[in-house]
Amino acid sequence: MTNGKDRRNEPIENLLRKVRLPEPSIELKERITAEATRVWKQTSVELSWRIPFRRLVVSAAAAVLVIWLANVSSDYSVARWRYEALSKTNQQPSALDILPEMPYGSFARHLASVARELPATEASGLHQYVETMQELLNEVQQNNVSQPPAPTGGSRLLPEESRSNSYS
Amino acid sequence: MDENPADNVLRAALAGNDPGAGVRLLWDRYASDLLAYLQARLCSLHDAEDVLQAVFVRMIRKRHRVARARFLDAYVFQIARNEAIRWIGRRKRNPATGPVNESWLLSREGSREPGDLAERLQTALGRLPQSQREVIVMKIYRQKTFLEISQLLGLSPNTVASRYRYGIEKLRILLENLI
Repeated sequence: MTNGKDRRNEPIENLLRKVRLPEPSIELKERITAEATRVWKQTSVELSWRIPFRRLVVSAAAAVLVIWLANVSSDYSVARWRYEALSKTNQQPSALDILPEMPYGSFARHLASVARELPATEASGLHQYVETMQELLNEVQQNNVSQPPAPTGGSRLLPEESRSNSYS
Repeated sequence: MDENPADNVLRAALAGNDPGAGVRLLWDRYASDLLAYLQARLCSLHDAEDVLQAVFVRMIRKRHRVARARFLDAYVFQIARNEAIRWIGRRKRNPATGPVNESWLLSREGSREPGDLAERLQTALGRLPQSQREVIVMKIYRQKTFLEISQLLGLSPNTVASRYRYGIEKLRILLENLI
């Protein structure tokens, strides 16, 4: 069947072969090769500085992109801690009371409550904070001098739990 | 096709620094096939010559990519196809540079055929879809096999063969009074 089709195609193929396509002329060859050679030389000069320049630009763009992505990722990850956590800390100063046992518990709680009450960024507040701390330390020292150290277990520096209420 | 020594020589020339050798090798290998292909695509010798120049310039600008191309011939013909499409688009946007009514098929030297045969064949070929016309031109006038055409055009051999058959069928109808 294929041969039959090929034979059917023969007359039309023979007819088409009675004419030809023009080959590229000498003038066309000269024109195109001259233009191509000119472009080759021109691009050789351009390539010599363009390649390192392009690499530099691409590297810089990649670095900027990586830094930007890192910043976005960082902002996103800390955003939930920024305002919510601060407001909760200010609103619930006694939250430390529910913390598990820790050394110097009452002293630490007192420090935390003092720190919350004072705006640390203001000079007067800072001054007041330092004075309070000095008073607190003096009190602790006096307590240590007046009372003998606990026989076992508890802290030697801090008063008993029942006395810690007097600091607050 | 892509592993023959001529490919390696051409790739080396394109990657090297000798413009004369690179351009000459490109011309010897592709000029005739590309001109035939572009004439089939554009139906104009004048336009095909202009686009051929654009193709060579593009190949030289992209010579490092051409040298690294996996299928060298297919890559070069893809460049030619893109340039032809660009040319046609430009022609549509600017009708003043429309196609020149010229002969792109010639009678063979010493032929006793009537002078208008080339013109009639050209008209009949011009009425074929471009995809069929380019296969017929490459097969008849460049003596390419279906496999070679499929490699040049990035098609399957079966597609090329069926396009050829359909094209020939249409030509038989269009030229029945000449057969």
